[in-house]
Amino acid sequence: MSFPLAAVDYIEPWWMVVIKCLVLAFIGLQLVPVVLLAERKILGRFQNRYGPNRVGIYGAGQPIADIIKLLTKEDFRPRTAIGWLFFVAPILSIVAAFGALAIIPYGPVVDIFGVATGLYGIDVSIGPLYVFAFGAIAFYGLMLGGWSSGSKYSFLGSMRAAAQLISYEVAQGMALIGVIITAQTMSLTGIVEAQQGMWYVIPQFFGFIIFMVASFAETNRPPFDLTEADAELTGGYMTEFGGGRFTLYFFAEYLNMIVISGMATTLFLGGWLLPFGIDPPAWVDPFVVIAKILAFVVFFIWVRATLPRLRYDQLMSLGWKILLPLSTLNALVTAIVVVTLD
Amino acid sequence: MGFFFVVFGVVALAGAVGVVVLRNPFYCVLSLVVHLIALALLFLLLEAQFVAAAQIVVYAGAVMVLYVFVVAYVGGGDRPAALWRASARQRALAIAFGAAVFIELSIAILGSGLRALGTGGPDVPAGFGAPAQIGELLLTRFLLPFELASFLLLVAAVGAVALAGRRGGLGEDRDLSPGRSTLDLPIPAARGTMAEGVAGYGVTTPMPDPEYKGRKLEEGEGV
Repeated sequence: MSFPLAAVDYIEPWWMVVIKCLVLAFIGLQLVPVVLLAERKILGRFQNRYGPNRVGIYGAGQPIADIIKLLTKEDFRPRTAIGWLFFVAPILSIVAAFGALAIIPYGPVVDIFGVATGLYGIDVSIGPLYVFAFGAIAFYGLMLGGWSSGSKYSFLGSMRAAAQLISYEVAQGMALIGVIITAQTMSLTGIVEAQQGMWYVIPQFFGFIIFMVASFAETNRPPFDLTEADAELTGGYMTEFGGGRFTLYFFAEYLNMIVISGMATTLFLGGWLLPFGIDPPAWVDPFVVIAKILAFVVFFIWVRATLPRLRYDQLMSLGWKILLPLSTLNALVTAIVVVTLD
Repeated sequence: MGFFFVVFGVVALAGAVGVVVLRNPFYCVLSLVVHLIALALLFLLLEAQFVAAAQIVVYAGAVMVLYVFVVAYVGGGDRPAALWRASARQRALAIAFGAAVFIELSIAILGSGLRALGTGGPDVPAGFGAPAQIGELLLTRFLLPFELASFLLLVAAVGAVALAGRRGGLGEDRDLSPGRSTLDLPIPAARGTMAEGVAGYGVTTPMPDPEYKGRKLEEGEGV
């Protein structure tokens, strides 16, 4: 009997799986405060101010101070809220975000304590579909959060999230088909190994652009942050959430950004591979992946500081009338080229 | 594995029962989502990873999203509006059809399915249920049903577009297509002024008299 979701023929001993889970969760939890601080600092510089610089050296203690502040706040619940759904919704969001984190590969199979260990949570044969499946579950976190708050702003925010997520999921998935056709596998480690020699950002450039635009929408980041447009909806689906529950949503949002950055790194930027044939020892690989993820995160922040928010009808026509046909065309052309070259 | 099978099976059954039993339509939809996710987990136990992922992405992630969308807008409340009341004949028909489906399923299960009980189940070859295998089957053995299903979906999509297009889009007073600014829109009858708020919709707001030059201050008045 093999293990469900295991693409490779072997599985590590159970203690190694436990250690891997803990390490991956730790990496995720450590990256979020770094990204938080980076966002506030970089946004500050873009807006000609310093950003947080009071807590610790260079303001480095700011994320910790933020988290302590949020966790010690009153756990407020509106009287109109539906109790157990209001309680479950943020947990769904954070569980889905952590679940999706498991698939990002930080390196190939290496030898740790004499055990052949893959530097990834799991390597599934369905690859990107795994992330999409968790995205579908994360959607219910948003939706139920907005609906169970019993507030019009929250409800409208979650409705926008629903429409936006299903619109852009299609284009995002279609953009990946080009990569899968070129790599001829859906396993993420297989896709990285197929990128030896040339990263897919070059042959799949259009796919990369479409994937990134759709990812901005999928993670509700500006310029597609209509679900929490402050000026119109005060705070979108998380308007009524405070304290610990807000922290969960907040963490889930930043974790989703990290997961999407990891996916872009793996699918288009060669994962743990370095350019120009540089072949470092195996322990460098995870740091290469994390550096690439952080580069993508800076790009996310850069775009947030640069572009204004779209209008809602513009969002919908961009998704359905421009991105979807382009990504279909990209998949078609890739398939024709691959068949012709074979 | 047997333990997980029982757990997911019970959750799937509970979800299915919930869809029928619960009164609030929003909870019915959520119950259906739970049922679909439990089904996906059962597929996972059967090594059908692709089917499991497709189940979650397509059903929980797209189809049910639309259900939630609609129910959240029009449903809600513990006592939904009675849109439709079943007559006695319809109830009898429903019971008859339910019994027919039950008998049919019982024949199918008892006639063939239970022979595998007590055996270890079929041997699963390596790579079973992987996307590559499913893709190959779809393009060879099941090509015709696959193409027919996609044709059916195409027809449905064209029909949806035709139905949506019949309304003729936004009216002239709301058309903000490229090249038109808000300044091109006609001024609506109600302008949201304070006078309308007091006297009701349709009250023409008195415009300031352009000839009015102000009045002289009385003795002892003003600053």
